[in-house]
Amino acid sequence: MSGLDDRVAAMLRQHEVEQFLYHEAALLDAHEYAAWLDLFSDDTHYFMPIRRTVSHKDADREFTRPGQVAYFDDPKALLRVRVDKLLTGRSWSEDPPSRTRRLITNVRVLADNGAELEIASNFHLYRTRLKSEEDSWIGSRRDVLRRHDDSFLIARREIRLEQTVILSRNLSNFF
Amino acid sequence: MAISRGDIEHLVSDERGELDRRIFSDDEIFELEMERIFGKAWLFLCHESQIPAQGDFFESVMGRDNVLVVRQKDGSVRAFINSCTHRGNAVCRAEEGNARSFLCTYHGWSYGIDGTLKGVPGYKTFYDGQLDKSELGLRHIARLDTYHGFVFGSHDASAPALVDYLGPTGRLGLDLIAARGDMEVIPGIQKFVVDCNWKVTVDNVFDWYHPQVSHASATMVDATGRDRHQGRHRTLDMAGVDMESGESLAATVSGISATDFDQVVLLGEFGHGIGGPTTSSTGAVEFDDSWRRTERAQTLLGPVGVSVGGHPNIFPTAWVTMAPSQISLRIPRSATSTEIWWFSFVDAALSPEQKAFQARIATRIFGPSGLLEQDDGENWVQVTMQSRGAASRGIKHTMSMGIGRGAVIHEAGLHRIEGTTSEHGQRWMYRAWREWMTAETWDELREATVPGDVL
Ligand code: FES
Ligand SMILES: [Fe+2]
Repeated sequence: MSGLDDRVAAMLRQHEVEQFLYHEAALLDAHEYAAWLDLFSDDTHYFMPIRRTVSHKDADREFTRPGQVAYFDDPKALLRVRVDKLLTGRSWSEDPPSRTRRLITNVRVLADNGAELEIASNFHLYRTRLKSEEDSWIGSRRDVLRRHDDSFLIARREIRLEQTVILSRNLSNFF
Repeated sequence: MAISRGDIEHLVSDERGELDRRIFSDDEIFELEMERIFGKAWLFLCHESQIPAQGDFFESVMGRDNVLVVRQKDGSVRAFINSCTHRGNAVCRAEEGNARSFLCTYHGWSYGIDGTLKGVPGYKTFYDGQLDKSELGLRHIARLDTYHGFVFGSHDASAPALVDYLGPTGRLGLDLIAARGDMEVIPGIQKFVVDCNWKVTVDNVFDWYHPQVSHASATMVDATGRDRHQGRHRTLDMAGVDMESGESLAATVSGISATDFDQVVLLGEFGHGIGGPTTSSTGAVEFDDSWRRTERAQTLLGPVGVSVGGHPNIFPTAWVTMAPSQISLRIPRSATSTEIWWFSFVDAALSPEQKAFQARIATRIFGPSGLLEQDDGENWVQVTMQSRGAASRGIKHTMSMGIGRGAVIHEAGLHRIEGTTSEHGQRWMYRAWREWMTAETWDELREATVPGDVL
């Protein structure tokens, strides 16, 4: 019965996508930055726009777009620079390293054309630093995952934080 | 216990190059700053290009007052306190946008974009028409003026004209952006909070001693993204390196990793200052410095200004940087909390691709995720928090580098010190802070902040 087959296939795909995102989060929480970087395609775009408090009628201005100022607007090369920076041993904002934990939820497959999937997910990134510093970022992500061997590559990621003024001294972690 | 004028004079010694650390955490001093500095100074609010159309507004901050800067029907700009004259509710709760009117959501008083009170629910039935609406418009800020499109406001009706307040040094700071073309703000103001005293973020503007250590990690990585283990370590320049082509976009000898380049420090009245390398010693600090050779730049900046590669600060809190053109506003929220806002500028005549490139460079260098500024906040918080204990606040801040050795050259209305890395700029800023906190009049303040012959 093809209806059942389709549903089983969708469940398997959901499972693979979720396991991939959990694996990615685990690498970041373990500070395995080089391995994390390998999960991105060479043509990736990693983007976190600026968010603004605007009236309902100005809702189209809530987020900045590529070409405007952002918090992250990175091709792979710049992601690599960020990773290399963290590995220098002199990246003071992350040395001593922050303690982070990422909770990835609400994973949905929005589209699948065979080669690429569009995935929505929510995250909670919790960070503590030094003795008493605590940051908590909640937001949503839209990823384009490209099928690659038995897994995926992240070909695009857009991150939307549930903050307008960033309530922390820096964004020295990945989302 | 009220702080006396005499007490404040002892907090800053530019003769010894020492600061009393209480100025970084004391609530009473913060209250005085709100009154004597942020209640009087011309404060940068925004740029006219952010509000091009009638009804466009941008909310900015003056001290603890939120201020709406609004484009008017006739093309002029006005600014009012975002506080309903009925009971003080905010009449606008968006950071920016477009408005046909401002409706207070408490009892429904409504104001025109010119601030006049238009509508009062129950004006006839409840007030019996006995309310002088003409007296109850939104409160305009005492002074508003612009310079090359940069909008400034002051709470003090007796403040000198903006152009005189800025003086040659402050104007040069802004001209270093304005001279690059028909400048406009790229949409997207980065905003973040650092738990530190605002002055720590401001004296850092002149601090060319810290990059080699604070920003060591940023200077060590190959900004092109090539494998750093292949033995080619290059320096990340102030402007960074072209992330697509891998080409270095700035002179390779320059760079924030070095401190032994020629520097020029400009001291301005009212505490404005500029400090940092000259372009001749570092090469350009920006990736394309051709604008400096245009007639517009040469005329506007003059022979000294055209080679300024360092950082201007418009006292108290507007930092100008040129790689790319940005203003960083440091907004005091409490003695130990500061909001940082980044405005990024671009020549309106550039192509969309060129503008996008400038936006990416801005995102890459400064702001909370910037390769440089990531590491600044960490230090600034610790500077504030580790200096406020019963014992640690009794230790003096040391700010004596170059003291007594800065010969001031007075030329073309500017006062400059040439040399290498120093703390002249910081000492000038704190000396001006002391004068702001004690002067009784604008004349007294101006006189006390005219640079002498040696610093
Ligand atoms: S507070 Fe604004 S209408 Fe009452
Ligand atoms: Fe810095």
